[in-house]
Amino acid sequence: MSAGSLEAFRIREEPYYLALADEVSLFEAAYAVRLPVMLKGPTGCGKTRFVQHMAWRLRKPLITVACNEEMSASDFLGRYLLEDGRTRWQDGPLTVAARLGAICYLDEVVEARQDTLVVIHPLTDDRRLLSLPARSEALRAHPEFHLVVSHNPGYQSALKDLKPSTKQRFGAIEFDYPPRAQEIEILVHETALPCELAERLVSMAEAARRLKGHGLEEGISTRMLVHAGSLIRQGVGVEAACQMALVRPLSDDPDLVSALVASVRACL
Amino acid sequence: MRNARAERNGPELACGASRFVRALWGFEVRVRALPSATNQFAPRRPRFVASNLWLPASPLSGVPGSFADYLFAACAHISAHLRFGAPRFSIDSLKPAQVAIISLLEDARVERLATARYPGLLRLWAPYYTARADGAKTSLSLLARLARALHDDAYVDDDSWVNKGRQLFLEGRAEWHDASSCRRIGSLLGNDLGQMRVQFNAKDYTVEPAYRDDNIGLWQFEQEASEDGTELETQGVRRIESDAPASKARERGEPQASSPQLARARERAARLPSQPTAELEPATLHPEWDYLIGRERPAFCSVREHPVALGDATHIAAALARYAPARKRLERSALRLANRRPTQLRRLLDGDRLDLPLAIAAVVAHESAVAADPRVYRRVRFRLEPPALLLLLDLSESLNAVLPGTSTTLLELARTASALLATSLASVAGDLAIHGFSSNGRHDVGYYRFKDFDQPYDELARARLAGMRAQLSTRLGSALRHAGRALATRSAPRRLLLVVTDGEPSDIDVHDPQYLLFDAKQATIANRRLGVTSFCVGLDPNAEASVKRIFGAGNYSLLDRLESLPHRIAQLYLRLSA
Repeated sequence: MSAGSLEAFRIREEPYYLALADEVSLFEAAYAVRLPVMLKGPTGCGKTRFVQHMAWRLRKPLITVACNEEMSASDFLGRYLLEDGRTRWQDGPLTVAARLGAICYLDEVVEARQDTLVVIHPLTDDRRLLSLPARSEALRAHPEFHLVVSHNPGYQSALKDLKPSTKQRFGAIEFDYPPRAQEIEILVHETALPCELAERLVSMAEAARRLKGHGLEEGISTRMLVHAGSLIRQGVGVEAACQMALVRPLSDDPDLVSALVASVRACL
Repeated sequence: MRNARAERNGPELACGASRFVRALWGFEVRVRALPSATNQFAPRRPRFVASNLWLPASPLSGVPGSFADYLFAACAHISAHLRFGAPRFSIDSLKPAQVAIISLLEDARVERLATARYPGLLRLWAPYYTARADGAKTSLSLLARLARALHDDAYVDDDSWVNKGRQLFLEGRAEWHDASSCRRIGSLLGNDLGQMRVQFNAKDYTVEPAYRDDNIGLWQFEQEASEDGTELETQGVRRIESDAPASKARERGEPQASSPQLARARERAARLPSQPTAELEPATLHPEWDYLIGRERPAFCSVREHPVALGDATHIAAALARYAPARKRLERSALRLANRRPTQLRRLLDGDRLDLPLAIAAVVAHESAVAADPRVYRRVRFRLEPPALLLLLDLSESLNAVLPGTSTTLLELARTASALLATSLASVAGDLAIHGFSSNGRHDVGYYRFKDFDQPYDELARARLAGMRAQLSTRLGSALRHAGRALATRSAPRRLLLVVTDGEPSDIDVHDPQYLLFDAKQATIANRRLGVTSFCVGLDPNAEASVKRIFGAGNYSLLDRLESLPHRIAQLYLRLSA
């Protein structure tokens, strides 16, 4: 694979991201010393958007891997393919990033099996080595290679957590849903809703977030608000859009749904 | 879709109602059903005392719209009182009419403040304002019209008293944060009503519009209203029979052993063969964490394992019958879990590594110009084996509480939940244990094994479950350590300690509520080091802070509907083992 093939992973236009605290400078500092970064926070609060924004800012290609339980080491590292009676080695996404110098983003990293994740260990300390046993190769990571993972600790973490030996290799940045004023600003930017309506949608999200742990596993996320906003821009009625994007996806419990519907109406 | 479900009855909606209040304001209320109106003294309106709400269990006569909307409207109104209300007014020398009018103004005041934050509440309340400007000039009609005038700025009324009330109220806009403005205006308007020679009869007065509460919660009476709203006497406004929305004995959870079935069951239990003489194990000593000195006190608590008295298991089967669908689901999933072994997958188009014989065959086929089979990969599929599960029940006195509106105790629910789990997980039964504990000071923490690891779930185990009793206190930390030790010996790759508790550790010899809480937290951490993961099912939605502190964010689930305990435990097991 040539450096040219990384071009597809470059982000050309600035992804919108509203900085809430010092996360941008923290990430830049971590990148400067190539400290792997862990982004922690509830789903839909802007972790992935932040990585895209930072990749754009640092002008680095971004290779994203959505982790799942079925992943094996070769899904990260690569494997031999059979072609015309011969075998050909094909780099996996992590190997591509380490070889050519990209930011590799492992989304929802706890979903991957913990003994599989061990392959990143030598890459994340000062050795910066990726070992490819199948190829008998010890790949020294490109100087611009950087590893970022995301992780949602609040979500029923019993039995699904990173090994301490994995955790200790990262610097972590904590994310949460934005404060009210910023969330309104984000919503207005993403959906071009009138400010007053955006405020009401944010009130709905705040109401639902109070039910977390009281029937809801996660409250209404910023992403869901953007969904509702886009539906409204499509001409869907406000209440119908909120029901579709905010209430129905969250729960199947009739009591909870009725309480959410009543709260949504109270905000309108 | 919204109308597909028929109107549901009170107790079910109550749960939605309390969640609605939590969503709006972030605090917890307890919702119960008003007793049905069988006599003329029964309350005709919702009621609240502190954060206890009583809502009608069936639609009130003459109230428009859907019953669900009505309950939400009532809840929104009462929660506005709770959010924006001041300490209760004292009656002093106020006349009944003044009390009614001050209450009405206070209603309007808190509603205005609530709608500033949630404008949609205006639409929720609007349908219940039915007073008309052309009504008779009776006190009932005038008060209803005043309520409407204060609610709806577009409403036009020609009555000078109503208009004066509205004007005074709106002029006092700047003082809406302060409830005493209502008292001042209300006293004034009450005097006016007297001078207009309009009769006010407290006995006939019913608060309008119908979603509002009966004002009992706003006033401080000389004879103090008890917390559960019984023995309320309203002087001046109206007299209400002591209608006892929930009997006190039940409130305290005293078991009511009156039913003949229960007596029969006890008889049968008495005939069962007595417990095989299990030797009383010597006490196990566990350390306890003292947060004040930041250190463990070694060998501080004695946990004693007691044999469990046997009970009659027939009613467990009856209770289980109601959970047949959940049981089927659980059985199927347990079977799937039990069959989880790493499997070799061959002949794949895509996989971890080449399967050498197949690859050679493919190369040979290619060389001899025969179409080669491209499926030359293999892959090992690992799946998580089911965890070893210890269900630890907090069997303290609080488990004797009766679910509001039923005759079921929490203890019975816990028993049913245990039985459901044990019955359905037969295929992985060796890795399931059900234990319980209750404490009586640090020297006497009782620990009971209803079903242990590697024991079958048989007649004896069922009889032990039936003999489960709730008593004494909750020394959670010691029990967690004891259970953790039992679980740590299991060879399963994951070990899960599922704790059912109200979340407030307490014991007779501890007066600092923080002490046992920090000890329990420390025990959870120690268990984690043993490879035991803890997860808590909290029975008290108000105990979130302590449960979160002990078990950590994400490692607990609070039940706001206690009836769902068996379902929730089954669900959690599946989720955590998937």
